[in-house]
Amino acid sequence: MSIPSVVRGGVFVAVLVTLPMLGLQHWFLNLLVFVLMYATMSSSWNLVGGFAGYPSLGHAGFFGIGAYTLALIFKDQVLATGYEPFLLLPLVGLVGALVGWPIALISMRTRADVFAIVTITFLFVVQTLAFNLHSLTGGSQGTALPIPPFSAAGFELPFYYVMVGLLVFTMGLTFATMRSKLGLSLVSIRADEDKARGVGVRVIGVKVLAFSVSVGITSMVGAVWAYYESFIYPQFAVDPLITIAMVLMTFLGGRGTLWGPVLGAVILESGQQLLTYQLGAVQLYLIAYALIFLVIILLLPRGILPTIEDRLRLRRRRRRTAAAAALPGGPPSSNVADAASMLGRGAT
Amino acid sequence: MTNLLSVQDVTKVFGGVRAVDGASLLVKEGTVTALIGPNGSGKTTLFNIITGYLKADAGRVEFDGSDVTGSDPGRLYRKGLSRTFQQARIFPQLTVQENLVVAGGYGWRSLFTSRIGRADRERAASLLEEFRLSDISELLASELSYGQRKLLEFAAVLMSEPKLVLLDEPTAGVNPVLIETMERHIRERNAAGITFLIVEHDMTFVMRLCDPVIVLDAGRPIFAGEPSVVQNNALVLDAYLGS
Repeated sequence: MSIPSVVRGGVFVAVLVTLPMLGLQHWFLNLLVFVLMYATMSSSWNLVGGFAGYPSLGHAGFFGIGAYTLALIFKDQVLATGYEPFLLLPLVGLVGALVGWPIALISMRTRADVFAIVTITFLFVVQTLAFNLHSLTGGSQGTALPIPPFSAAGFELPFYYVMVGLLVFTMGLTFATMRSKLGLSLVSIRADEDKARGVGVRVIGVKVLAFSVSVGITSMVGAVWAYYESFIYPQFAVDPLITIAMVLMTFLGGRGTLWGPVLGAVILESGQQLLTYQLGAVQLYLIAYALIFLVIILLLPRGILPTIEDRLRLRRRRRRTAAAAALPGGPPSSNVADAASMLGRGAT
Repeated sequence: MTNLLSVQDVTKVFGGVRAVDGASLLVKEGTVTALIGPNGSGKTTLFNIITGYLKADAGRVEFDGSDVTGSDPGRLYRKGLSRTFQQARIFPQLTVQENLVVAGGYGWRSLFTSRIGRADRERAASLLEEFRLSDISELLASELSYGQRKLLEFAAVLMSEPKLVLLDEPTAGVNPVLIETMERHIRERNAAGITFLIVEHDMTFVMRLCDPVIVLDAGRPIFAGEPSVVQNNALVLDAYLGS
């Protein structure tokens, strides 16, 4: 572990923890809670969509599964402290992961665009069930969760801090994945799955594991959201727009990076909320989404962070070459050049 | 010498085409066996069946004394059967070193260990040294030339200490100097105990390096023997040139 990444992470957590102490207004805290939710979900989507390269469009289905799982557990209950739902989040995550396991086993036999279609089908199956299983979900009339007994003055704070915890957990998991052979295996799957299979990478196990963990986290966010809203409707609990937001945020920030999905969520979610507040037109952000997607594809196909990283890498290399050339006696005869010329290729 | 690989009556049909048609062949331990034949004679299909990428419609494949028909490529790899691909398939998003490490054939528990541990680094380092890739070990594989990719792919499949390596056209599209380099690596590794089965179109390369040579035509072997005999065999000439 290099020190800079520890420092970066520490500063990030410190900022998140201290932010609410600045006496922020409710609307701003509310916005932050949503930014954190989307940052966590994008980070979780990134595990399978970014690292393994499987563009799941079904994650919102698991968001809904999490939301309804919590609603079912706490149906008609009155909470004493209000923290009980948070304590059961790991259970909700487990439910999501267990549902995700067979879904992944089946859907991940397909790839790329077909996988996207299979998973979005799953999303609509969940949505249809949410509308029609009246005894469980209340159908289109929605279902109520216990009212959080928090004081009005600090109503958002418990949700805020739970989401900070979930985001840090997810980013920690992402960081650990990147530093492990699991991460290496996932990237090899994204690069060339058949080749990976042929060099002994345990492709099925690794991608199913990534998917399950990913949707488990998404379910937990769904549960927090449901509790925060207190009353959930199928069209919002299982909403394709949530999937699209996750994908778009990850693409904007940078797939397969630790900070990309978080950056994407901060930009898009705060942008969306501000647009809504400013203009009052709730649906306007959809047009913005489409525009942003076009801009990403045209100008930043790999996302913000990887593009910046590439620029920096190039600049560093150029500077190093320049420095080497400035040395008396010209650049040191490197073996790279030797190897390259041996292979009949100019200097790299 | 024992048979390391034995293919018995393998058939593969694509639609109406019998790509591999009752093919049987043996690869003896310690040899550099060539598999040649005109385009479309089923060499790559046979490779794909042996390495588990394709399921045969009929027949049996034995490797190292056990039946491996229909086995998963990953399992075969961990058992010691490695292959390369015609188009030098490497992982462009990974560095040269990572390309080697990822091919280490790890078990479940290793997945949760460090991305590149000390043992991995040492193992990769000796291969990088051998293939003269040490100086570019930190480069992304996408930055390599085609020839370097071929070398990298070859080096990577050696990470699992295989018994048998199947090379699919190791010299296709690379310059003469690299062909020699490739030949040297194969000879060195063969001397160190690895058996090779090579699909190749470069006949001088095959004649220099391989013994025996198996000739495939229309999905089945028509000849197996010393390279010097192959060149004069009427059946082989017929297959390549037409009667």
